[in-house]
Amino acid sequence: MDAVVKKIIIEVKKGDQQAFSELVELYKDKVYQVAYRMLGNVHEAQDVAQEAFIRAYVNLDSYDVNRKFSTWLFRIATNLAIDRIRKKKPDFHLEDQVAGTEDLTYYSQLASDEELPEDQVVQLEMQEWIQDEIMILPPKYRSAIILKYMEDLSLKEISEILSLPVATVKTRIHRGREALRKRLKNE
Amino acid sequence: MACTNENAKLIHKYLDEEMTLLEKKKLESHLVTCSICERHLRELRKTVAIIQSASHIEAPKSFTDSVMSRLPAQPRRNKWKT
Repeated sequence: MDAVVKKIIIEVKKGDQQAFSELVELYKDKVYQVAYRMLGNVHEAQDVAQEAFIRAYVNLDSYDVNRKFSTWLFRIATNLAIDRIRKKKPDFHLEDQVAGTEDLTYYSQLASDEELPEDQVVQLEMQEWIQDEIMILPPKYRSAIILKYMEDLSLKEISEILSLPVATVKTRIHRGREALRKRLKNE
Repeated sequence: MACTNENAKLIHKYLDEEMTLLEKKKLESHLVTCSICERHLRELRKTVAIIQSASHIEAPKSFTDSVMSRLPAQPRRNKWKT
């Protein structure tokens, strides 16, 4: 594992709480991105991402230092996000209204700040549209697609994060890709 | 959709670069003659490209401070465990 990360973790375990802020700085964007892509809403993303770091801090003793810290952290974050989705939509269906479309999104928040040039507006709309398509995926395909194509993680890492065999991860990526293809092929 | 379910599976395998050279050659020669499968692969490639074009998202500026202010004073540690 990364020596810097290992050193920080040892410091935190010794009782230096402030050292934990270095870990947050290192991983906040990645964890926040996964949470946002899973939930499609800035408030919920912030909530889940912060909760993930707090749980990591509280449970740091159960973290095996010989494994990759980011894998462990991503696992906490994706589990929290999946729990949140389950609570929000106990019976999720493809044809349900897209979660978060009525809500504040990262991009609509950005766009409202100032008047943007035309090409940037187009870019923001494109980004919102991609997120909407991601949100239509059932959560089990959504998590696999996000980790593979937005976080660029290996199948092995994704399988550790999701606690699934590599073969299952592959199937989920294939099905997620097919579901997206059917919707995006005419774009 | 690909011409057969079997070919759909092969197309995904091709996309993931998990084929032997022989399997690859076999599928490629099929793609030349089958417009259905050729289109299927093209659409999947486009789909992946669209998803990968999503921007990287950054956490809000106040993120680290918020986390640090919410940490419990002492982590719950099992003192007898070393």
